[in-house]
Amino acid sequence: MNTKKLEQRRRQADKKWSEFQNNQRPLIYVGAGSCGLAAGAAEVIGALEAYVKDKKQDVDVVRVGCIGPCYLEPLVDIQMPGKPRISYSNVTADNVTRLLQSFLEKGEVYKPRLVGHFGTEPFDGVPKFFEHPMLAPQVRIVLRNCGMIDPENLDHYLARDGYKGLEKTLAMPWNDVLEVVKNSGIRGRGGAGFPTWRKWLVCRETESAERYLICNADEGDPGAFMNRSLIEGDPHALLEGMLIAAYTIGATQGFIYIRAEYPLAVERLKGSIADIRELGLLGENILGSGFSFDIKIKEGAGAFVCGEETALIGSIEGRRGMPRTRPPFPALSGLWGKPTIINNVETLGTLPNILRNGAGWYSQYGTESSKGTKTFSLVGKVRRTGLIEVPLGTTLRKVIFEIGGGLVKEFKAVQTGGPSGGCLSQEFLDTPIDYENLAAAGSIMGSGGLIVIDRDTCIVDTAKYYLSFTQAESCGKCVPCRVGTRHLVNILTKICKGQGELSDIGKLETLSKAIKGSALCGLGQTAPNPVLSSLKYFREEFLAHIVNKRCPAAVCRDLVVYRVIKEKCTGCQRCVQVCPTGAITGPRSEVHNLDISKCIKCRSCYEICRFDAIAGDAIIIES
Amino acid sequence: MTEKEKRAKEARTLRMEIDHREVSFPEHVTVLRAAELNNIYIPSLCSHKDLSPFGGCRMCVVEIEGMRGYPLACSTVAQEGMKVLTDTATLRDMRKEILQLILSEHPSSCLVCGESKECSEYQFTIRKTGVSTGCRYCPNDRQCELQNVVEKIGLTEITYPVYYRGYEAEHDDPFFDRDYNICILCGRCVRMCQEVRGTAILAFKHRGPKVQIGPAFGRSHVEAGCEFCGACVSVCPTGALVDKSSKWDGKPDGIEVSTCPFCSIGCRIELHHKDGKLSKVYPNLDAEINDGQLCVRGRFSMPEATHHHERAKKPMLRRGKYFREVNWSEAQEEVAGKLKGLKPEEFLMLVSGDLTNESLFAAQKFVRSCLAANSIDSTARFSLPGGLGLWAKLFSLPISIKGVAESDAIIAVGLDSRFYFSVVGVEIRRALKHGAQLLTIDARDSNLARYTDHRLQPVPGREGMLLNAVSQGLSGKKTALKVIAKHGGMDEDAVKKAIDLLKAGVKLSVIIGPTVFEYSDTVELLDGIFELAKRKNTNFIPLYHGSNVRGAVELGAFGEILPGVIQSKGPGTSLTDLMTKRKRPKVLYLVGQSPFLERPDCDYVISQDTYYPPFSIDAFLPAASFAEAGGTLTNIEGRVQELVKIENPPDGAVTGYVRPDWQIFSDLSQKLDCRALGYKNAEDILQEIHEAVPGFPAKPDRQPRRLKAGSELIIEKKNHPPDGKGEFLLIVEPAGFQHRGMDLSYVVEGLGELALEQGVRLNPDDLAQLGVEPGGRITLTVDGIKITATTKADGDCPAKVIYCSQPSNFGGLKERENLEPLYHMKSNPIHVDVQVTEGSSPSR
Repeated sequence: MNTKKLEQRRRQADKKWSEFQNNQRPLIYVGAGSCGLAAGAAEVIGALEAYVKDKKQDVDVVRVGCIGPCYLEPLVDIQMPGKPRISYSNVTADNVTRLLQSFLEKGEVYKPRLVGHFGTEPFDGVPKFFEHPMLAPQVRIVLRNCGMIDPENLDHYLARDGYKGLEKTLAMPWNDVLEVVKNSGIRGRGGAGFPTWRKWLVCRETESAERYLICNADEGDPGAFMNRSLIEGDPHALLEGMLIAAYTIGATQGFIYIRAEYPLAVERLKGSIADIRELGLLGENILGSGFSFDIKIKEGAGAFVCGEETALIGSIEGRRGMPRTRPPFPALSGLWGKPTIINNVETLGTLPNILRNGAGWYSQYGTESSKGTKTFSLVGKVRRTGLIEVPLGTTLRKVIFEIGGGLVKEFKAVQTGGPSGGCLSQEFLDTPIDYENLAAAGSIMGSGGLIVIDRDTCIVDTAKYYLSFTQAESCGKCVPCRVGTRHLVNILTKICKGQGELSDIGKLETLSKAIKGSALCGLGQTAPNPVLSSLKYFREEFLAHIVNKRCPAAVCRDLVVYRVIKEKCTGCQRCVQVCPTGAITGPRSEVHNLDISKCIKCRSCYEICRFDAIAGDAIIIES
Repeated sequence: MTEKEKRAKEARTLRMEIDHREVSFPEHVTVLRAAELNNIYIPSLCSHKDLSPFGGCRMCVVEIEGMRGYPLACSTVAQEGMKVLTDTATLRDMRKEILQLILSEHPSSCLVCGESKECSEYQFTIRKTGVSTGCRYCPNDRQCELQNVVEKIGLTEITYPVYYRGYEAEHDDPFFDRDYNICILCGRCVRMCQEVRGTAILAFKHRGPKVQIGPAFGRSHVEAGCEFCGACVSVCPTGALVDKSSKWDGKPDGIEVSTCPFCSIGCRIELHHKDGKLSKVYPNLDAEINDGQLCVRGRFSMPEATHHHERAKKPMLRRGKYFREVNWSEAQEEVAGKLKGLKPEEFLMLVSGDLTNESLFAAQKFVRSCLAANSIDSTARFSLPGGLGLWAKLFSLPISIKGVAESDAIIAVGLDSRFYFSVVGVEIRRALKHGAQLLTIDARDSNLARYTDHRLQPVPGREGMLLNAVSQGLSGKKTALKVIAKHGGMDEDAVKKAIDLLKAGVKLSVIIGPTVFEYSDTVELLDGIFELAKRKNTNFIPLYHGSNVRGAVELGAFGEILPGVIQSKGPGTSLTDLMTKRKRPKVLYLVGQSPFLERPDCDYVISQDTYYPPFSIDAFLPAASFAEAGGTLTNIEGRVQELVKIENPPDGAVTGYVRPDWQIFSDLSQKLDCRALGYKNAEDILQEIHEAVPGFPAKPDRQPRRLKAGSELIIEKKNHPPDGKGEFLLIVEPAGFQHRGMDLSYVVEGLGELALEQGVRLNPDDLAQLGVEPGGRITLTVDGIKITATTKADGDCPAKVIYCSQPSNFGGLKERENLEPLYHMKSNPIHVDVQVTEGSSPSR
């Protein structure tokens, strides 16, 4: 395989892409990433195809990856010949036919659930998709192809300058590539923020016949899905990034360690690897450069600790996923004792862009110490949830209130960095997001989970949740993590039950510090972060639980009572019907009575009440 | 020299500062080791000298100038000029905190009990009873590393609630009990099993607080293929893993370093004794042979073998219908009376190859000097198929167990090291770790074959042919590989590849298992060995059962050779004469072994042993067991190693009247008015041996010796290819679990449970094809003889091949009696016909 063959293929790809863009037949895009599928994209596609078949319409259907606003899924876009692509949100199997009817039969733009169009010119009063408030503030670099191309079509990727970064790379000596990466200022996107080039240099300079490159796609933080979406939406970006990294560090074999719970991502990767191997971009003597490299996929069994690099290496080697002490760092002695570089999906996925557009272009984004953009999975109690990409240095306020559209209820905290991170309070809303600021605040950047918490969420309960998670996911090797987290969970549980004592706060703090100082791996060392940060910023809430035996967010079951608000109750009897213990009684149209002694706090009445009568609406949970 | 030792030798001495003290240490060691070498204590629970750093217990945290956080002493390599603090206030607090966490998972009443100090002195109890026995909640009390660390750290209370895991203690597998409630998950056992033993039976299971140690998928140790080497038990810092037989013995009164009396390797062992009795056996860290490793026999079998309730401890004589207890002098009088005036052809003494050097020498001297005959023979003959000439030659080759670990190319022929010679297996794995190449030649699947891509699996009985092919190939001779491959049922390329593989090696070790020598066609095997013997840097390990068989050869415990392996010409009776009924001795004197199922044809049978033989005898002289008699044993390498006397039971109705074999001979000689044997102690005999046998040391001497004598003995090559007719091939192999007159798998409960040498062993597929469940019975027909035997499924057996073990004595398992005709077949292997026995139902 030489460059010429690639050029030829690229020309073909360009042609196909332009045919695709200037479609002669109606073209329908369906957001069919895991988020879309979870929201019902598969059913929508079923209904859509049935309709098309029934009407004998000639249309093309493309399954694209997640474009970002997951809360709008399933997203269906229609592009009529000669018209721009128009996006519709929350399409279901029921309403998709109306959408199609409007376009295919009446030739009209369907108005309900319209999100925006993708054209450059104004179109028929339809807003532009990328001017949507969730998308306008974003800078899409690593996500540039997500939702735009057919992830399973190599031609699409090639036509959008795919593998050009690789071509540039192969034309340079490895140290020049390293220089570009160094100047771009990119730091590890897995969370720790170690400068990528520095790690690479150590690995490259270690004498060894073999070196390995591992892509860490074992994304396991609760509420994080950046890596999954990227792989599902643009697998070739990752593969190209791996080729660039492998060339620079001199690796001959790469591994993608991906969790088996990401079946779609695994499937896409397998297909894409086969495609580029066929094209000669994997294997011996790639593009005639003398550089040889191949990639294997290793599916993880879903252990959170396997995201820790030494545990991950163990898992690939066929051993139990269990961290070992560092040093030696994997860059010196990793997989089978050989120098190994482990990079996160996002780091690798960004590389093609850096190489294609140059270090200067990339480093224009971001802050002094944290360059470039970062993807976040914005979830929790915000109005607009989804996958976003913003330049580093963007404030939390901008992310939560502009992109995320704010909260329905009062803002309380934002949790960053998953189980290793912490809860930040209101005072940090104007802090620019970068590695240093988040660390200084007692949290971490992490791989990019942002969970927004409102006043209805209990901080103690949240800390307990995270600790139960790390406790269950601890490999059990070192004492502080295995036993220490267990004690933390137990103390937190005690506090949530209203059995806490003032001394428990001190115990939490000493134990947390001991764990932080003495645990073996990153999982253990950061496990107490949710406790420490919540204690720092929400101490009052802990005290409320311990001293007043109250849960201000009315979450902790042992500390709340349910009550009917007399003024609001209309006596509709819906709560009476759902109450499993018969605690709520009362004739129709009269204020209902809730017998606390029978109430098991199952929350059924609260969820069903439409009138704010029992603490939800007419039903209240009080603490 | 192993890689480790090589590095240690080349290591420079460096200097660093620990706790503001300048200390020196060799290069490549960890901070923990450097501190240890300088008598600076850093607490640690999971580190172990033979194992890779783990970093699980976190007790060895230290502060090192210029390093972030609190690095671990056990995994940080000490470097020139390092400044380490091991005992700052922060570290003390941190350790206390961590130790509390460990104890909150460990039933720790004995550790932080307010009475703990007084308890160890006065043994009173916090239980509400009127006894003063101390609380024995844990079998490891006072021997516990965790206890030591708690004391050193000075922890007196636990501020965390203590969780009891609530696991059921595991008693189901033989030899050791497991209580994972006490386990602190230091991972030593897991690493030992994986890194040193290479068996990987043990693993961490589950995640988080549910983490537990054990074989994966909830299998038992037996099912998982545990070798029961006990290495995991030896390194357990707590009482989670303990020997069954000595579980509640408590802290031993003392430890004696001795030699394992059960096989020819001669592992160094530590005998723990309590109240004058052998309590348990641990491996010694001796680097010459076993380096902290043992096999199931050495590790677990000794206390039961010597303390078994069927142990015969009193002199007995036949009086009319009765066999009754007598005192020593009466027994001596009678036996001496019977021996007096016998002609050489009227007498035969059979001695076991498990006796000490002293007893063997005394035995042959007794026969030769007091009875003036060469009528002595040794059952060690069974361990030396091929004859004394061959073995004299083999013992003259360089033999080094340690040399296996140092070699870069290894050939293992017909050896499975799980239960037999397991230390050799450990040495092989040590060699593999530093890059040695291993070739296995074995008709059967073996545990060693797992560690190599180069395994030749020939037709049973053809192992020698392949060894010959490889040896010829190595010396550059042209061989008809095609023909050999065809005969051996092999792929020619595989043989060629194996030769190429070994060619690269400089130091070669050739290990030959005992079964291979048993074949009735050994021409090629011997040719191969002798060809390899010409090669430089070649180390041989020709394995045989019986612990002092080499001693029996060197000390002339056979009619045809005198001490010093000198040919003897005098008249006498031999075992062959008795078996073939060429001669009929009047008196048969069995010392330490009775290789007969029924009473042999003679007038008077004397047995001198630790257990009764399985047939009627006329006189029984109770011999001291390995624990009760001192002495020396000669191992395969020629080391003369000390066997320490650990029990010295006073004569009495309960303790018995046992005496060392040499003493019994010496006493008898007095009664026969023979002055030659007036021995007072074993040391005198060793001195006499030293004078009689050139090269034999005067004191226990652990130098390996190559045998220099015996080259004039004839080496006979057996040339009898497989005989018989039938679809199956039967192989009779020597049984390994024998010691003196006892069958260890009978006296040691756990070995009985394992039933390794039980019945006839076949591939499970063959059993299924025959329609027999394991445990069902089949009938083997050969030469018109029909033998019915119980089957055992053994996945290692190749298709259509049956294995059975031939014991060298019959003091135990009854099942073997049925198989007796199989032990005297015309050839080995032999073709047999197999039918399912009618009415056979599996008896599990």
